[in-house]
Amino acid sequence: MAAAIAIHSVTKTYHRGGESLRVLDDLELQMEAGTFYALMGPSGSGKTTLLNLVGGLDHADAGRVVVGDTDLTSLDGSELARWRAAHVGFVFQGFNLLPVLTARENVELPLLLAPLSKAQRREQAERALALVGLGDRMDHKPRELSGGQEQRVAIARAIATDPQVILADEPTGDLDRTTADAVLDLLQRLNRELNKTILMVTHDPQAAGFADQVIHLDKGKLGRIDRNERPAGARRV
Amino acid sequence: MPWKLLLRNVLGHRLRSALTVLSVAVAVFLICVLHAVTSGLARTLDASAANRLLVQSAVSLYVDLPLSYQQKMAAVPGIEAICKWQWFGGRYEQDKGGFFAQFGIDADTFLRSYPEMSIAAGRYEDFAGQRTACIVGQQLADKYGWRVGQTVPITGTIFTRTDGRPWEFTVQAIYQSRSPSFDEQQMFFHYDYLHESLQQGGAVGPDGVGVYMLRLGPGTDPLAVQQAVDAMFENGPQRVQTTTEAEFNRQFITMLGDVPALLRMVGGAVLFAIFFAVLNTMIMAGRERTRDLGVLKALGFTDATAAGLLVGEALLLCGLGAALGGLLGLAIERPMQAVTAAFLPGFGFDGSTLLLGAGIALAVGVISGLVPGLRAARLTTVQALREVG
Repeated sequence: MAAAIAIHSVTKTYHRGGESLRVLDDLELQMEAGTFYALMGPSGSGKTTLLNLVGGLDHADAGRVVVGDTDLTSLDGSELARWRAAHVGFVFQGFNLLPVLTARENVELPLLLAPLSKAQRREQAERALALVGLGDRMDHKPRELSGGQEQRVAIARAIATDPQVILADEPTGDLDRTTADAVLDLLQRLNRELNKTILMVTHDPQAAGFADQVIHLDKGKLGRIDRNERPAGARRV
Repeated sequence: MPWKLLLRNVLGHRLRSALTVLSVAVAVFLICVLHAVTSGLARTLDASAANRLLVQSAVSLYVDLPLSYQQKMAAVPGIEAICKWQWFGGRYEQDKGGFFAQFGIDADTFLRSYPEMSIAAGRYEDFAGQRTACIVGQQLADKYGWRVGQTVPITGTIFTRTDGRPWEFTVQAIYQSRSPSFDEQQMFFHYDYLHESLQQGGAVGPDGVGVYMLRLGPGTDPLAVQQAVDAMFENGPQRVQTTTEAEFNRQFITMLGDVPALLRMVGGAVLFAIFFAVLNTMIMAGRERTRDLGVLKALGFTDATAAGLLVGEALLLCGLGAALGGLLGLAIERPMQAVTAAFLPGFGFDGSTLLLGAGIALAVGVISGLVPGLRAARLTTVQALREVG
C-alpha cells in the first residue's frame, strides 16, 4: 500500500524562556493511505506537534514531511494554506465551530476556498451533514447542539472538501463515553467506507481501539506500533 | 472573504456594535458640524466683495467716527460711493429670546453698493422716500411674520428716545441675498432719521458713524485707497483703519479669538476620542476571535483574510456610523441654518463636509481594524488555536 504520510528524520525544537525543548527527535515514520492511526504517548511526547506538522500548521526544524505527493517542508505559508484547504481536514478536541454560524455555514466555510458555486457549496455541505447524521440540524447554531452533535458537525466540516487525510486532535476528549464511542464509530466509518487516512491523537486506550494501528511516541521518538485486530463485524462497507 | 461571517460577527454582539456605531455617528456628526462652521466662515470671507472697503476707528470697532469724514473721503480718487453703517443695537418688543441686527445706512448708496441684494417684496424707492421706513431680510420677515406696510417697534438700548417710547419703523421693502456674506436676518433704516433725532433732542446716544463703506470704481487699486484714507486721518481727530471687506469680516469673526483653530482643536479631540473607542472595541473583538481566526487559518484561509475580517468589521461599524452621522447632519442642516443665519450665513453641509466625515470614519475603521488585524495575521495557526486551548 502507498505511503500517505512520510516523516523523514524530522526534528522540532521549541524555545521558551531561554530553554530549548526538543519535542521531535529525528523521527522516522511511514503511514499508509486508507488506514486509521491512533497516536498515543505521554504528555510532551510530541503527538500534537507531529499532527501539526502533518497538517501543515507548523514547520519542522529539520527533515521532511511528505503527505501524498507533496513535500510540506518546501511550501511557504500561503502555499501551505492552499494545500490545507484542499488536502486535509481537521477535527479538534474543543470542536472549534464558529459560534455565530449555523451548522451548515460552518461546514460551508472550507468550501468557500474551493471553486464552487453557492448552490454547489450548499449541496456539498448538506451532503456532509447528512453523512454524519445531522441532516435535520443544519440550521442550528453550535450552542443549540449537544457536544456530540457539535463534534459531528466538526467532522462534517473536515470531510466537506473530500480531503485525503483527516487529522483529529483528541476528538473525544470533551465527550462522555457513549458520545465518544459514537464519534469514534463515525471516524471509523469514514476510514472504512470512504477510505480516508485518519491520524488521531488520543490519551484514551479505548479510543485508540477504534484505530487500525496505534503509534506510540516517547520523548519525540517512535516507540512501537501496535496493530489492532479488526472485528469481522466492524467493517461496514 | 467569508462575508457572512464578517456580518454575523458584527451582529453577534448587537449591543456593543450598536454602541460603537452610535459613538462613531455622534463623532462624525460633530466633526461635520464643526467643519460646516469653519467652512461656513471661509465661505463668508470668500464671498466678501473685492470692491468694497470698510473704514473704522483705529482704536476699536466700538469707537465711532466723526460724520465729517464722509465728505473728506469722497475726495479720494477711486471712491465711487460711500455708505454709512451705524450699529443700532435695539430690541424688538415681541422678540423674547432672539436677536437680530439693525443698522442705520445711507439709502441713496446702499442698494447699489450691495448688488447681492434683490428686492423680494415692496419697493426700494418707497423705503428710500420715507424717513421712518426700513428694509428687512426675507428670513427676518418670515421669522416674525412681517409684511410690507407693517410698523415694527424697536426699543433702543444705545439710542433711546427721550419720550420713553420705542422707535417705530415701517417695513417698505423685503430683500433677499445671493451671497453668504450678506445674510437675510438684518434690518436697515435711514441713518439720517437717527442722526436728526439725536440732533433735535428726540433721542439720546452717540452721534457718529460706526463704519464707512467705500465702494470703489472699476480698476481702482484698493491698496492705494486704503493707504490714502488711512493717511488722511493719521493726525486725528480719530485715526482710522481701512480694510477690505474680507479682512473686516475676518477680524470681526476673530474678535472672540481664533474660532477656526479652536473648532479644529475640538474636532481633533473628538476624533481621538472616537478612535480610541473603536480601537478598544476592535481589540476586544480581535482577542475574542483568536480561536475562530486560528480555525479559519487551519481550514486554509490566509493571514490576510484573518486580518481582513477584523478590518472589514471595523470598516462596517465605522461606515454605518458615518452614514448615520452624515444623515443626522443633513437632517439638522436647515434648522441650523435658520439659527446661525445672523452670525454665520455660510453655514451648510457640502460635499467636502460629508467627504471629510466619511474619510475620517474610513481612516478610523482601517487603523482600528489593522491593529488587531495585524496581530491576527502574525499569530501562527498553532498559537491562535493554543491561546484558548
